[in-house]
Amino acid sequence: MSTTMIRVTVKELCEREGVSHDALLEVIQHEIAEPLEGSCVDDWCFDVTSAHWVKRALRLQRDLEIDWIAVAMLIDLLREREALDRENQALRQRLERFLTAGEG
Amino acid sequence: MEFKDYYQILGVEADADTPDIKSAYRKLARKYHPDLNPEKDAEDRFKEVAEAWEVLKDKERRAEYDELRRYGGRPQNDFEPPPGWRSSASGESPNFSGDFSEFFSSMFGGGFAQGGAGPRAQGFRGQDIEIEMPVFLEETISDVSKPISYELPVMESGQLRRSKKSLKVKIPAGVGDGERIRLRGQGAPGQGDAPPGDLYLHIRLVPHPVFDVEGHNLLVTVPIAPWEAALGAKVTVPTLDGKIHLTVAPKSQSGQKLRVKGKGLTSKIGKGDLYAVLKVVMPDSTSPDVEALWQELAQKAAFDPRTEWGNKGGGKS
Repeated sequence: MSTTMIRVTVKELCEREGVSHDALLEVIQHEIAEPLEGSCVDDWCFDVTSAHWVKRALRLQRDLEIDWIAVAMLIDLLREREALDRENQALRQRLERFLTAGEG
Repeated sequence: MEFKDYYQILGVEADADTPDIKSAYRKLARKYHPDLNPEKDAEDRFKEVAEAWEVLKDKERRAEYDELRRYGGRPQNDFEPPPGWRSSASGESPNFSGDFSEFFSSMFGGGFAQGGAGPRAQGFRGQDIEIEMPVFLEETISDVSKPISYELPVMESGQLRRSKKSLKVKIPAGVGDGERIRLRGQGAPGQGDAPPGDLYLHIRLVPHPVFDVEGHNLLVTVPIAPWEAALGAKVTVPTLDGKIHLTVAPKSQSGQKLRVKGKGLTSKIGKGDLYAVLKVVMPDSTSPDVEALWQELAQKAAFDPRTEWGNKGGGKS
């Protein structure tokens, strides 16, 4: 059985993804993700979902060569779209249940 | 190996200047970036585009590429750099920030693609893999162990192939739709002694035949007969872990919600509630006797449900 983890540390992000402390500071300053705990950069960690967005933000910043404000806006919109897609799917399912005649 | 025409990939002329090439790259990067475009071949397309930009944005590399292009000319499958070819543009230990093709490596050195759009971390650590993990609502009530199988990109004698992997994972109680969990070291193997990547599971709650999810609350649609709505009734309603009895009050409306505390999903902030949503359903067929009773009811009730529209008597026309 494989152990599931719910956190990613800053050390892991930096070593494995080649992320610099400066880039991480930008991510946090632009409120793309909020670290869970730790008083200095090295002690920080992220929950796995936030780490996913941190990595996406860093890739987009590098590959599209855009500034951090644009990255932050892009990530906000992508997050919102993901949430809306989920909500839309759930509401469609509920509506269908309500409109179909008979059981359920 | 295949000769790559970077100008063609970016859709620019061979004499285009750097700002034009940059603008073409940005346009295509925005279109095909795997973080923006979920389609299957977007990632491969993006890698090609990024590789073309990596070469053409740099004066020296572009000059060398142009030289090779004159030599190798057209896209073909048997391209080899000229004998004794050695790039001076990449230096002794090239450190490019992307996953590049064999063609690129033959020109400028460095290892080539393992897949994935992320940077090659030091020591060629294996690629992280993210897969969707369907989870049934019933499985979120307590910790559950689930078998999964997925494909990993593996390099074997310079060839990229896919290998299947299976394992059992513990899904913690209370996972929500859209959450991600991480399995350390279960991603693609690293090169040589380098560590493997991680596996990320993107949790997707499977649509349930009976229940809908709203945050950590559950909704169940309860069909009731018109006379149950009118007179009230006791109905049995399913929950995720058994059945409960509910009292439908007299004069209930379709769409009305009855809250059952603590019968929702388990979550980090506690148990959610179950909402029973009433849905008035007409019987499919009626006998002449029942039809007569409806007629009698229609006359006696004298009810116009469309008074809000202000068309008095409109309901009866």
